[in-house]
Amino acid sequence: MNLYQIVAKDILRRKRRVLYAALGVVIGTMTVVGILTIASAGQAKILKQLEQYGPNLTVIPAINNLDMKLGNLSMGTLTVGENYIPEDQLPVIRQIADSKIREALKITDEGDIATIAPKLFENTKVNGISLVVVGVEPEQERIVKSWWDIGKGNYLDDTDQVIVGAIAADLLKLNVGDTVSLNEITVKVAGILKETGASDDYQIFAPLATVQKAFNKENVISSLDIRALCNACPVEMIADSINKNVPGVRAIAVKQIAKSELGLVEKMNSLMFALAGITLMVGLFGVVNTMMSSVHERTKDIGIMRAVGASRKQIIKIFIFEAVVIGIIGGVAGYVLGTALAYLIGPLVFEGTAVYFVPQYFPLALAVSITVAVAAAVYPAVKAAEIRVADSFRSV
Amino acid sequence: MLEVRSASKIYGEGPSRVVALDNVSLEVENGNFIAVMGPSGSGKSTLLNVIGGLDQLSSGEVILDGKRIDGYDENALVEIRRGKIAYVFQQYHLLPSLTALENVLMPLIFAGDGKNEKEALAILKRVGLEKRAGHKPSQLSGGEQQRVAIARTLVTSPGLILADEPTGNMDQKTGNEILELFKELNEEGRSIVMVTHSPDIARHAKEIIYLQDGQVIKRIKKEDSTHG
Repeated sequence: MNLYQIVAKDILRRKRRVLYAALGVVIGTMTVVGILTIASAGQAKILKQLEQYGPNLTVIPAINNLDMKLGNLSMGTLTVGENYIPEDQLPVIRQIADSKIREALKITDEGDIATIAPKLFENTKVNGISLVVVGVEPEQERIVKSWWDIGKGNYLDDTDQVIVGAIAADLLKLNVGDTVSLNEITVKVAGILKETGASDDYQIFAPLATVQKAFNKENVISSLDIRALCNACPVEMIADSINKNVPGVRAIAVKQIAKSELGLVEKMNSLMFALAGITLMVGLFGVVNTMMSSVHERTKDIGIMRAVGASRKQIIKIFIFEAVVIGIIGGVAGYVLGTALAYLIGPLVFEGTAVYFVPQYFPLALAVSITVAVAAAVYPAVKAAEIRVADSFRSV
Repeated sequence: MLEVRSASKIYGEGPSRVVALDNVSLEVENGNFIAVMGPSGSGKSTLLNVIGGLDQLSSGEVILDGKRIDGYDENALVEIRRGKIAYVFQQYHLLPSLTALENVLMPLIFAGDGKNEKEALAILKRVGLEKRAGHKPSQLSGGEQQRVAIARTLVTSPGLILADEPTGNMDQKTGNEILELFKELNEEGRSIVMVTHSPDIARHAKEIIYLQDGQVIKRIKKEDSTHG
């Protein structure tokens, strides 16, 4: 038998008191866990939405418009520069993007990191109707346009296939299995996209090589989309670096909207943390309060222990140990209740968001709860240690 | 041996000033058995408390085995309570959440020797309670609780046992049994100072001190013939 077993027995006898003392920590920890869980669900939702934005960067040919003037007379604008990006710039751009991401994430593994989806836009007539045919790398394009849904048929998997935007298919009365000719090359309709609400609906997508061949544009592309690996990736830095190092192209980061939305989440998180902190403080004083009354209640017991040889340190240890038990109760209950709370109100905060419990918050809840309980116990413990044996028996 | 020299204890100040002990001197030779008698408020319990360091003296000295202990700080007093002086109280003062055996074990736990359950059990047997070892105080009679309390003092084998009306809550028969136990302990060589208001109990002691208004008004020292 040791000191801790004495405390454990005493706690078992005073279950209700101890649970009451734990209540303050439970509520505080519950709030923290609840807020964190809801916030993580919200963040997950926003990040998912961000992915819907598609590419993080778009690279287009650098075209300069020069105002032509004669004296004070404007003569219109002259477009200077190429309309295409040479395909051999792709590895250079990839190298820049990957190295910036590696730097940001502190990873060293080899291989491609960013998804790079080159495109070649060509105006053409299909069945007598003018439209844009887009040459794409099927695999990369699919990653960049995660919102694409194939309405009918299949996605591109061969060089002599096309997929058709929903409205274009309507206008051209195209169906899966039909053939169309792009200049001299005849291709088959592999699938038809569901409506996206974007310009994709009016376009036809074919493998890049096919389009390059059909329109005699080998080795050039019109633009490329870059999708970084992560949402924290330094897209502005990548854009800057491409602009500085690759002549003839202009890289634009398209993440600004996403950023401001994430910033909002962060602000909301700090507000919630402040709230949780206040709840914890209130809980702390609750524990101090119940612990103090527990000290008064147990004045006699403390006197007995002192009389039979307990030192002041041992009395303090007894109360701190009790606080640890209270902290463990608070941590476990706070985690469970906080998660339940998140499940309950999370969907109300971020409409329709699925809330998932976060196992990593369990040790966090325990740590927070035990810290608060022990901090709350210090003053009562010291007070308990100051009790004098003779006084303790007189007061009873 | 314990010596009290001109001990005074004053509670409060001004009009509420109470002199609980007024210049009391006392010697407890090793192996002595002193009964302290007197009416309520005569300072009996205060005397016991200051002897054992449970309460501070206002003036005077307490000397244990040649060392002044009246000025000891809490840490030093802990050492005295862990083997030199032990207490038995009228209210038994057992911890309600612990069994009889655990209560007896408690001083050893605080002294860092909590594994010595054999010793504690042997002592419980010595006071006739080995069959009650697993009972909580609430399941024991007053006499049994006091035996547990006495057993608790014995685990640290103290030279001096201070008992504050140990039979005060008991009927005569039970009281006599407890008294017999104290006499046995005294015969083993332990010094005992026992506060009591019962002349029947006190007459078994080797020395009786009468207190009134904090002063010693009478001392009776008996011959060894009173044995038994």
